[in-house]
Amino acid sequence: MSESSRRDAALRGARELLPLSPGIFAWGLVTGVAMVKSGLSTVDATILSLLAYAGSAQLAAMPLIATLAPLWLVTLTAIIVNLRFVVYTALLRPHFTHLSAGRRLWLGYIIGDIMFVRFTSLLQQEPNYPHKVAYYTGGALANWVIWQVSSLIGIFAASVIPPSWGLELAGTLALVALLVPLCRQWPALAGATAAAVVAVLAHSLPLRLGLLCGVVVGIAVALLVDQQLRRRTSSERVS
Amino acid sequence: MTDLFDTIDPYVWLAILGVTAATFITRSSLFVLGARVQFPPVVEAALRFAPACALAAIVAADLAFIEGQLSIDVSNHKLIAGCIGIVIFSITRSIIGTIGGGMIAFWLLHFWLPML
Repeated sequence: MSESSRRDAALRGARELLPLSPGIFAWGLVTGVAMVKSGLSTVDATILSLLAYAGSAQLAAMPLIATLAPLWLVTLTAIIVNLRFVVYTALLRPHFTHLSAGRRLWLGYIIGDIMFVRFTSLLQQEPNYPHKVAYYTGGALANWVIWQVSSLIGIFAASVIPPSWGLELAGTLALVALLVPLCRQWPALAGATAAAVVAVLAHSLPLRLGLLCGVVVGIAVALLVDQQLRRRTSSERVS
Repeated sequence: MTDLFDTIDPYVWLAILGVTAATFITRSSLFVLGARVQFPPVVEAALRFAPACALAAIVAADLAFIEGQLSIDVSNHKLIAGCIGIVIFSITRSIIGTIGGGMIAFWLLHFWLPML
């Protein structure tokens, strides 16, 4: 009984990820193409994709690998681009503490941006959903499979897809669809706007550090606006 | 044959392991540490706003540049398509509609407009 309801939850996780799959697919395709276009062999690109499972980090590390940059720099760049996952896992951590360490290692590895946003909205809509772990695992595995399949297609199709199609835009549009509903409240909207402006202004920084600057400034702005709004509502309550 | 030798380049393999290590370090360390690490309330609050800020930074950096050059005007078809995507999502709440509509807008601007 509980076994089958866990399976249902895993299937539900996978099913609710499907509307987002065109975005994941396009991103994977683009990353596969880009890895080969920037000089990796088909075999290396396949292994990198299967092991690292990190689209933006792979894309950020590629120019460095192609120019034989020091290995510490390649690794550090990948860590910086991946820093947002520290944020995601900090938020999700309380839901997984009852599991074994090995299980948690694996659940962390399979997290992805899109699955994170899906899972967060499940937690908001149904905070007491009993099969969170199964839902997460099903969705994250579906995310992994869609990503790897599209990435492999991209790696092998690199020579036939012309860059003028601008397929990477489909990935960005998927992120737009995730971003807009997160900005419904003033603090988040202010923070996101600040993050966007700073990321563009600081774009010339090395290691894609401009992204990190944007995130840091954006969070600071969001916290300030949040604080101001709270202060105003509490003073209104007093008067 | 040279392809085969290229694939056993130890530098590339170590770089692949480095990127893989970065994946585990950033995604799994907090999960594995479990409840032993506690964040102060400000950090917890900051974490709530982080995803919106991270996505906004990535999207803006993707849309505002063409081949590394800042381009914030109507000649930037990606930027226009992105704005159309924001409008489509705000009205329809449809993810597929946002991706499809944005791409069609981009292709029209990019391939069809120059032919007029």
